[in-house]
Amino acid sequence: MPTIEDLKQLVSETKPEEAAEMTRELLAAGLDPMQVLEAGVMDGLSEVGDRFAAKKAIVLDLVKAGVTAKACVPLIQEAFPEGQGVKHDKKIVLGTMLSQHNIGKNLVSTMLSIDGFDVIDIGEKNSPYDFYETAEKEGADMIAVSVVFAPAMEKFSELIDMLKELEVREKYPVIVGGAVTTKVWAEGEDADGWGAQAKDGVTLARELLGVA
Amino acid sequence: MGRLLWEAIQRSTTGPIMSEEKFETELLPSVLASVQAKYKIEADPDEPVMADPDMADAVFQAGMELLLELGLYCQDTKRIIKFTEEEIKEAIATARHEVTLGQGRDEITLKPRAPGDTQHPYCWPPAGTFTADVDIYRAHALTVVQEPTCDGVFPMPLYGIGNTKNIAETPAHTLVCLTEARIMNDVATWAGRPGLFFGIPMSATTPITLMSTFNSGLYNKYNCTLPIQILMDMRVNYDRFNLTFFAEQQGLEPWMSCSPTLYAYLSGPEQGAIEIIAHALGMLAYSGGTLTQGMSVSVHGTYSGNDITWCNSAAALAAEQNLQLPWLTMGGTAEESPMSDRSWYGTAVCIINACISGMEATWLSGGHTGLEARWAGELSRAAAGLSPREGIEIIKKANAAECAPAPPEATIDKLYDMSTLRPVPEFVDHYKKFTRIFKEWGLDYPSWDD
Repeated sequence: MPTIEDLKQLVSETKPEEAAEMTRELLAAGLDPMQVLEAGVMDGLSEVGDRFAAKKAIVLDLVKAGVTAKACVPLIQEAFPEGQGVKHDKKIVLGTMLSQHNIGKNLVSTMLSIDGFDVIDIGEKNSPYDFYETAEKEGADMIAVSVVFAPAMEKFSELIDMLKELEVREKYPVIVGGAVTTKVWAEGEDADGWGAQAKDGVTLARELLGVA
Repeated sequence: MGRLLWEAIQRSTTGPIMSEEKFETELLPSVLASVQAKYKIEADPDEPVMADPDMADAVFQAGMELLLELGLYCQDTKRIIKFTEEEIKEAIATARHEVTLGQGRDEITLKPRAPGDTQHPYCWPPAGTFTADVDIYRAHALTVVQEPTCDGVFPMPLYGIGNTKNIAETPAHTLVCLTEARIMNDVATWAGRPGLFFGIPMSATTPITLMSTFNSGLYNKYNCTLPIQILMDMRVNYDRFNLTFFAEQQGLEPWMSCSPTLYAYLSGPEQGAIEIIAHALGMLAYSGGTLTQGMSVSVHGTYSGNDITWCNSAAALAAEQNLQLPWLTMGGTAEESPMSDRSWYGTAVCIINACISGMEATWLSGGHTGLEARWAGELSRAAAGLSPREGIEIIKKANAAECAPAPPEATIDKLYDMSTLRPVPEFVDHYKKFTRIFKEWGLDYPSWDD
C-alpha cells in the first residue's frame, strides 16, 4: 500500500501518470482528500520549488511538476464531499502581453489552477483588447498579465486606460508580473497587485478575490 | 553574408516538422544533457571563471554537436533547419577575425586577443538611462561620451519622448529610436567624438523599426550594428533572416548575440556556455557576421554571480581557442545606485573576466554615469595583461568584499555639476575609494587622477 509520502515523492520527481495512479489508490483506500492534496501534491510541489530556489532544478522542472500536480488535483477534487472541494468559483483571465514569452505565465497558470481558480489562459502575443474581450465573454473576476519586455509595459498601461474608458475597471482587479516589471512601476500604472514570483499570483488572487 | 542564408531559408520549408513545445521541453533538454555528459563539462560552483583550455575545447565541441544534432527551430514553419558538419566547418574556416567599428579618431579594430594579452578589451558603457525625459537621457549620455576611456557606447532604451509613448510596432517606436540615434550623434559630436561607435539600436525591437532607423542614416555601417540574433534556445524566425539580408544589402555589420537564460530550460552555466557556442556557429553560418556577444542571464534575476561569469568565460575561451571571432560579453549589476559599492564591484568582475577570458570587448549592464564609465574603461586597461590566476583572485576578493548598504538612487544633477559636467566631490570620493581598493589588490591602475 503506497503512502502519502510516496505520492509526494512522485510529484517531486515529476511523474504525472504514476502520481495520478497513486492518487487514485490513496483515495480508494479512504485517505482524507485534503491530506492527499496538501501532504502529497502540494508538499511535492514545494520540494521542486525548494530545489529551484537552490538552483538544483530549472523552470522546466517546475512546469513538469505543475503538470504532475494537475494530473492529481481533479481526482482529489472529485473525492471531496459535496461543497468541500478546493474550487473557488472564481475565473481569472491570464496571458502574456504582446510578446511570445510563456514560461512565467504558464507557471502562474498552473499554480492558480492547482489552488482552485478557474484559469482562462489566452496564451501569448495578446493585445490589451484581448484581455478585456475575454474577461467580458467569460464573466471573469480578475485579469492577470505577464509583461516580459519593455514595449509591453506601454500596452499594460493601455489596458488599464481601456478598462477605465469602458467603465469596467472596478469590475476586474488587474495583477501584473514579469521580467521587466517592478512593484514601483506596477503601482504607478494603477495595477491592483504585482508579483515577483509565480506563487505571488496565488497570494494576490486570494487577497483580491476574497478567497480564504 | 553567410553562405548558408539561402539554404537555411529553403530548409525552413523542408526540414522535420515538430511542435515548438516538443522542441523546447523534450528535444532541447535531452540533446543538451547528452552533449554535456559526453564531454564531461561540469562547473565548480566556487569558481567564478572557467580558465581550463581543455574544458574550453570540450565546450566548443559540445556546442558544435548541439547545433548539428538539434538544428535551429523555425517558428514560422514549425520545421527544424539543420546544417552539416562540413557546412559549419567551412563557415568557421572562412570567418573574418577582425572588425573595425567607429570612424576617425574613435575608430577601433577588434583583433583576436588571448587571456593575458596586454591589449585591453574595448569597453562600451551604457549611455542614457531608463527614462522618457530626453533631457535627463541626454545628460547621462553626455557625461559618458566625454570620458576618454569610453571606447564606444551602448544606448539605453528610451521609454518615450516626454508624453509620446514608445508604442511597439507603430511609427512612434521608430520615432523614439530615431530620437535615441539623434541624441547619440549629438552628444558624441559635442564631446568632439563624432566617430564614436554606438553598439546597437536599443529603443526599437521590430524589423520594420530597426530598418527605418538605419534608413535615416543616423545609425549607419560605421557607427552601429544590426541585431540578427538567434532567439532564445535555438529558435529562429523569418525576421532574423530578413534582418540578415537587410544588413548585407546595406553593408551593415550583423550583431550576433547569444544570451541564454540559465535555469529555464538550461540546467546551469555548463549548458549555457554550450548553447552560446551553438548559437554563435548558427549565426556565423547564416549571417557571416563577426562581432559576437556571448552573455547569460539567470531566471533568478541577475547578470552577476559565479554561474553567470563561469558561463560567459567558458563560452569566450571556447570561442577564443576555436573561432577567434571578435567576442564580447555583457555583465555587471543592473539597477543599482551609481553610489552603490556592489555595482562598482560588479562592473570590475565583468571587466576582469573579459580580460582573462580572451575577450575583445565588454558591454556593461549597469552604470549610467560618466564616472562609472571612466571606472570601467580604466579598469579594463589596468586589468589587461593579468594572468587568469591573478584575475580570478581579484574577482574572488571583489565578490567577497563587504559592501556598504546601497544608498538611494541619486539623480544625475545630484552626482554632477550640470554646468560643467564634472562629478561632485562625493561621487569622486566614491570613485577614488575603488581605485585605492583595486590598487591594493595589485592592479597597475592608470587613473586620470594620478
